[in-house]
Amino acid sequence: MPLFKKVLYSTDFSPLAEVALEYVKKLKEAGEEEVVVVHVVDDLSVELPEGTDLIKEKEVYKILPEVDQEYLLDLVERLNSIKELLEKENLKVKTYLKYGNIPKQIVSVADEEKVNLIVMGAHGKGLLTELLLGSVSTDVIREAKCPVLIVKRREE
Amino acid sequence: MLFEKVLYPFDGKKASLEVKPYVLKLKEAGCKEVHLLYVLVPSEWGILAKEEYDCIEKIEALKAAIEEGFVDALLRMFKKMEEVASEFEKEGVKTKVVMIPGELDEVISEYAKKNDVKLVALGITSESLSFFRVGKVLDIIKALDRPILIVKSPEEEG
Repeated sequence: MPLFKKVLYSTDFSPLAEVALEYVKKLKEAGEEEVVVVHVVDDLSVELPEGTDLIKEKEVYKILPEVDQEYLLDLVERLNSIKELLEKENLKVKTYLKYGNIPKQIVSVADEEKVNLIVMGAHGKGLLTELLLGSVSTDVIREAKCPVLIVKRREE
Repeated sequence: MLFEKVLYPFDGKKASLEVKPYVLKLKEAGCKEVHLLYVLVPSEWGILAKEEYDCIEKIEALKAAIEEGFVDALLRMFKKMEEVASEFEKEGVKTKVVMIPGELDEVISEYAKKNDVKLVALGITSESLSFFRVGKVLDIIKALDRPILIVKSPEEEG
């Protein structure tokens, strides 16, 4: 069974996401062959259609202020560095930079790419915030069709 | 080692059984030890002394405190857990089978800390995450301070 063959790695480029990346690399030993790296943007100054692919749909950049364009180009660069890093581990890699609701877009790429597992870091929020707003990780767990590996703290 | 010691909370239901192949597969990524843990929830089993029931003799001894039928059901569960454990042992993975009374989130998170578990592999049903039943599964996820592999089973058993 291809339990870990294709993995979606969701990153917000935080230190915790870097820890989660170690798990993604380690899973190669358990049959992982391909990694889909995903970052979702929800904080641009211009509202874009939900699910806009900010790697493929480059013409969208024209309607964005320069500051947003620079921000997005920096994110694409960061995704490419992760891609290179994983390719060095002999993994096949795809990257996605999406606009929209973070958990919704993570799950949408997971469905589209038919991944076997989602790996992501989870930042603990205050209980009240979580009760009112939910959290990215709990929403992903709730909506995803595949297993989810949540990394909650640094491995000693 | 990221996957060296795995805690596998087990209740014998379909959702917890679906985790098994994932944990077995993690052997290839360095899993050397699996602890199968059954939580004796007070509402189901009454109040029991909070200790680790990790052998048949300790469970048999409960007959002095709780109804024999309950103890027999626990013994059946323990044997079922031992059967699952034997599948790991066959693959060269060390195992421990244990039952502990208490609330799910507390027992699982305390056990994970105490035993320096590297990963918790949790089987859940989709229904257990619906907005109307967010209670226990999210409590477990929130209580844990280490990586969790969540394997979702589409349907609850009838």
